[in-house]
Amino acid sequence: MPAGRPGPAAQSARRPPPLLPLLLLCVLGAPRAGSGAHTAVISPQDPTLLIGSSLQATCSVHGDPSGATAEGLYWTLNGRRLAPELSRVLNASTLALALANLNGSRQQSGDNLVCHARDGSILAGSCLYVGLPPEKPFNISCWSKNMKDLTCRWTPGAHGETFLHTNYSLKYKLRWYGQDNTCEEYHTVGPHSCHIPKDLALFTPYEIWVEATNRLGSARSDVLTLDILDVVTTDPPPDVHVSRVGGLEDQLSVRWVSPPALKDFLFQAKYQIRYRVEDSVDWKVVDDVSNQTSCRLAGLKPGTVYFVQVRCNPFGIYGSKKAGIWSEWSHPTAASTPRSERPGPGGGACEPRGGEPSSGPVRRELKQFLGWLKKHAYCSNLSFRLYDQWRAWMQKSHKTRNQHRTRGSCPRADGARREGHPLQHPQDTETVEQLQTKGSLLWEVQQTPGQSATWWSVTPASGQSRGRLGDISHIPWCVTGEPPSLGRFCIKPKVLKNLADRFHGFNYPTRVDGNYK
Amino acid sequence: MDLRAGDSWGMLACLCAVLWHLPAVPALNRTGDPGPGPSIQKTYDLTRYLEHQLRSLAGTYLNYLGPPFNEPDFNPPRLGAETLPRATVNLDVWRSLNDKLRLTQNYEAYSHLLCYLRGLDRQAATAELRRSLAHFCTSLQGLLGSIAGVMAALGYPLPQPLPGAEPTRAPGPAHGDFLQKMDDFWLLKELQTWLWRSAKDFNRLKKKTQPPPAAVTLHLEAHGF
Repeated sequence: MPAGRPGPAAQSARRPPPLLPLLLLCVLGAPRAGSGAHTAVISPQDPTLLIGSSLQATCSVHGDPSGATAEGLYWTLNGRRLAPELSRVLNASTLALALANLNGSRQQSGDNLVCHARDGSILAGSCLYVGLPPEKPFNISCWSKNMKDLTCRWTPGAHGETFLHTNYSLKYKLRWYGQDNTCEEYHTVGPHSCHIPKDLALFTPYEIWVEATNRLGSARSDVLTLDILDVVTTDPPPDVHVSRVGGLEDQLSVRWVSPPALKDFLFQAKYQIRYRVEDSVDWKVVDDVSNQTSCRLAGLKPGTVYFVQVRCNPFGIYGSKKAGIWSEWSHPTAASTPRSERPGPGGGACEPRGGEPSSGPVRRELKQFLGWLKKHAYCSNLSFRLYDQWRAWMQKSHKTRNQHRTRGSCPRADGARREGHPLQHPQDTETVEQLQTKGSLLWEVQQTPGQSATWWSVTPASGQSRGRLGDISHIPWCVTGEPPSLGRFCIKPKVLKNLADRFHGFNYPTRVDGNYK
Repeated sequence: MDLRAGDSWGMLACLCAVLWHLPAVPALNRTGDPGPGPSIQKTYDLTRYLEHQLRSLAGTYLNYLGPPFNEPDFNPPRLGAETLPRATVNLDVWRSLNDKLRLTQNYEAYSHLLCYLRGLDRQAATAELRRSLAHFCTSLQGLLGSIAGVMAALGYPLPQPLPGAEPTRAPGPAHGDFLQKMDDFWLLKELQTWLWRSAKDFNRLKKKTQPPPAAVTLHLEAHGF
């Protein structure tokens, strides 16, 4: 194969007489015919084939040094000699090869098919590209950090990627304004991702898709339509601090700062907190943290280290009611609850049950519990009413003591009772206000005439905590008779359900407000 | 210059032209400084570092090319690789090189090698491999700058780009992929040999510019392939 060699004009006069071979400009890269080294040619050169197809190849020796003929030539594929029965001599200077049912290429740079002379030296080579056309990419998800950029991620289709190099190209266009654009910054958050840094329009949906191309063909994902404003996310809240709440041994206070981007773009934010014990992998999630930047976790174990993370979801962007995309969780912050100094109150009756996550307002749970209680109590015609402290205040004027018909006690159903105390009459002098100042949810158990009403106060297990319902929905509560000698048990709201499940045949009442009859 | 769009050789020419016109990095030494010693030492250290970096890059790259390229005793014919600057040199010749020539040969060799390396058209390689290659090119650029610094400190002029240089594309069959793989193989091999040789070059320079308190014997062999 003849090749031109650039002449000595390429050298500079200033260059000292070279002792080394002439240095030529590297731009000249075409292969040179060495002195007879390259004397064969493989055909086809660099073919692209489907997996499972066959290949017929030939190695033609020409030029000619000393008797190079097709005799003695052999093939190797990826360094391994091929079985002689696959080759045959076509004529004096050509060796043929027949390969069937090809496997996918061993490396994406192509399988190396080489024709060797009898002495093993390489005469010629050809790269085989065997693979599959790409499959449709799918699962495109995109988000915008600050409404000016967009990052998208997708999943490649199953095949085609492994054997042949597959090029992915993310394209986007405004829905009604035809021009296709291509994303340029790839691999920003993983191998199949792309980042569009600017020139994005708001208020008009974008159509986004991914094209996968390789030597054997191309595939196009489904089109994703989205509006930038619907996929806004922020960085996680910075400066998350977790600290103890005075000496309270089962509470921690979490404080954070709202992400700065929110101020710039007039978002509101809702937050989620999750926490776990140091050596556990189960996270408990607190969902109802609206747009405050602090929250108190309660119902924790004393003397334990907790890890806490917060994340943020911007919403209310330009007045829309739609939520954005949750940010990443902030870096875990750790804090420990103080060690417990005294035994649990009530002589051991108050132990919070296992680690069930407690979500949902305690009001509902307790109502459900009392509904169950009513059903299984020995006495009939119990009715419960739930008051929170404010309603109790208002109810005071309506409620008269007449409603407390004292007629004797009505023992609780065995399953719920943890201690065998008989119920007694509450003191007549107990007023709603007195009970109310304890900051508790009040329950009135109204029994049939002739029976005494039993007041039960439901308080947070740890004592006097005042807080809104949302703050305290996940802590254990104790149901205490008034006076306490009536009996007391503590239970986590979620556990109520489990308790009830143990008593088969029970159906929770479905009404969560109003009275249970 | 043939600069058809998509013409890789045209782009290569552009790159090479840019490379030649890069201003020489001024020597680290300023006036009243301790001489070229520190920058010679630095250049020596750089060659060792690059040697180490190349070892892992070459391993990965040859695996990407696939067997037989990554086999230890692989020895294909040198075809297009004749244009590569060769580090191999006769021992006496090497010993007798004067400082200026020694430095010039190093500088020119790496300029060309860097140019070839940048032209490595491996669009199909993994992103990680491309990153490693880019990183190595940057380090090699640093070595070039370091050599230029030594030359400036010793008062030697930098070699100028060759005038009238033009990329020519030899007519005939296109450069097949397998031939390209062989070129890549020899490029890496030549780079390895040059780095090995440069360490010796700079070690020798170091001893010449600083008369050593104790005599150190330099062991050398000329290396072929």
